[in-house]
Amino acid sequence: MDPTAQLSALADPTRRKVFELVRKQPRPVGALAEKLPISRPAVSQHLKVLAGAGLVQASMDGTRRIYTVNPTGLEKLRRWVDDQWEQVLDTFEEAARREAGKS
Amino acid sequence: MTTSHRLHPVVKTRVVPIEADRAFTLFTERAGEWWPLTTHSIAGADAVGIRFETGVGGVVVELTAAGGEHIWAEVTEWDPPHRFVLNWHPRIDPVAASTLEVSFSPVEGGTRVTLEHYGWERFGAEAEELRESYEGGWEVVLENYTGNI
Repeated sequence: MDPTAQLSALADPTRRKVFELVRKQPRPVGALAEKLPISRPAVSQHLKVLAGAGLVQASMDGTRRIYTVNPTGLEKLRRWVDDQWEQVLDTFEEAARREAGKS
Repeated sequence: MTTSHRLHPVVKTRVVPIEADRAFTLFTERAGEWWPLTTHSIAGADAVGIRFETGVGGVVVELTAAGGEHIWAEVTEWDPPHRFVLNWHPRIDPVAASTLEVSFSPVEGGTRVTLEHYGWERFGAEAEELRESYEGGWEVVLENYTGNI
């Protein structure tokens, strides 16, 4: 499980904001640009990177392109985070078992 | 097209064969005894311990062989032996922190430990910090970053 693309895409704070806005509500580029202190072309560029990482996708609403979250990429990232905690809890459980053996 | 896409927390549970108060202490004050530091830390092989300051406002700090310290988190809620909450931000701006909540409840044969991680998508920020700190590209970054939770 290698979420490099997703991690890399979300590393940029502005891009993370774009993603969080899309996550809260599907929106077209213009609506995103209104909410952010960056130009519309800059928003488009961030969306392109997020789409490339499989985190957002575009769908057509008439002639407008609306951006929504792509659950597949997000799920990949989630599973990876989940796996990290799995490893930490594994070692905690081992320590607890050793602790139980002491008493 | 108006559905909000909510990110549910990552939730993990385990049942361990010790009482809640011992489980709580082991998970917090005694974290340095069992935490997989080599793989789950900022300094990796150079990480030697954890200082977990108990109580609200306490910090969780990784200790390195060279005497360095890396802050991972601050305690925002503290209710031993039931529950604690951390503002979790290894290597990232605390403003972008995620939330880690761990609770302990007595069950037959021991204690159920439930770990919930909210805002996990912000892990990307940690990875970026690491990319700036380590040379050698993503392979190295991920190798070290794995430990960053």
